[in-house]
Amino acid sequence: MDDPATLRRFEESVLVHLDAAYNLARWLTGDAAAADDAVQEASLRAFRFFHQMEGPRPKAWFMAIVRNACLDELKERRLRGLEEAYDEAVHGTADEARSELEPPEAALVRADDSRQLHARLAGLPSEYREVVVLRELEGLAYKEIAAIVGVPIGTVMSRLSRGRDLLQSRVVDARRRSSS
Amino acid sequence: MSCARTRQVLDAYIDGELDPATVAEIDVHFVSCSVCAGLREERRALSAQIRAEAPYYRVPERVRLALGRRLHPEKVRPRRAPAWSLAGALAAAGAAAGLLVGVWLGHPPAEDLLLDEVVASHVASLTPGSKLVDVGSSDRHAVKPWFAGRSEFAPLVRDLSKDGFELVGGRLDRVGDRQAAAVVYRIRNHYVNLFMWRAPSGMGEPMTVTQARGFPLATWSAAGIRYAAISDVQQSDLERFARLASEP
Repeated sequence: MDDPATLRRFEESVLVHLDAAYNLARWLTGDAAAADDAVQEASLRAFRFFHQMEGPRPKAWFMAIVRNACLDELKERRLRGLEEAYDEAVHGTADEARSELEPPEAALVRADDSRQLHARLAGLPSEYREVVVLRELEGLAYKEIAAIVGVPIGTVMSRLSRGRDLLQSRVVDARRRSSS
Repeated sequence: MSCARTRQVLDAYIDGELDPATVAEIDVHFVSCSVCAGLREERRALSAQIRAEAPYYRVPERVRLALGRRLHPEKVRPRRAPAWSLAGALAAAGAAAGLLVGVWLGHPPAEDLLLDEVVASHVASLTPGSKLVDVGSSDRHAVKPWFAGRSEFAPLVRDLSKDGFELVGGRLDRVGDRQAAAVVYRIRNHYVNLFMWRAPSGMGEPMTVTQARGFPLATWSAAGIRYAAISDVQQSDLERFARLASEP
């Protein structure tokens, strides 16, 4: 770690994607502390293996490492008995991420709807949740998502489709419930 | 193209992952099949709702700092922390801190917030029931004068129809707490919002394209006006639009 030029290249090509990495980690682990640990671990792993980085897409490469670090972190927490129910209390709510950005009254109007959407996305099985997050919140192409998740492009498409079906039926169910 | 086949590839269609020939076939099918066209609209609305409402968790400063300590063990300067952890840090302070501590510590926070505001204004303008334009016309000579006496500057309104971007109209809007002029264009079935607001420091930053909450977003500045073009088209289309719009 004492080569400043390498470190600088690492920062410019890989660590610029730290927000994307963290967002993925939060959605995958559902927990701030777990995401903190996973992203730090992934960044250090990425630096260690930086010389092996292949291909023109550092973001996909880094995100794949982040995803693996998240799976490791979840496994380790399960073994240590630290796993907690995935719920609003540990995950925070949409309000937490948004509170500094808009006036309280706008947040109030929106809170109901967005918390539902947030809860529904958070409640998706992880194989669907990860592809929806990578597509909708990161805007990644199927090819990149396939590289990160380690499945064929056709699988990305079918998981995305199934994930959105689930999300859509849940959103519709919730609307029906609240309007009846 | 059958309904069954259309539904099979609907997501790839929405996501811009299909080849142009298949897209053309499906577009023909949508014209004759209102059920499939309805499904397409539901999918688009869901996609926009996720992008607008699902929280995007940015990396907290505690993680950046901890990482900085582990990657740069020789350069620990704890006193620098408050400069960018203050939520109200000004763009200038943010930029200075960013320069001092290296690229990966991120963009100036104020600039990030503004990009979020551009996304928020874009999404709000496309929400059913809201007004996409105050003045609707494909004639730039009708749109531009509408802003006179309403906007504090004369916004850029171009005729880009021969490049596939049809002028839809303009409206007064806000980006964060700033008054902004928004000029709306359409390519195929997608709207492009070009936001413009006064930024006295913006004197000729070149056009750059980025992603904000999954939307491609291009920004540049010229002559004290800051420009942000945003849409849900593919990044390559938005970049083409921004290049045409930002030509001197």
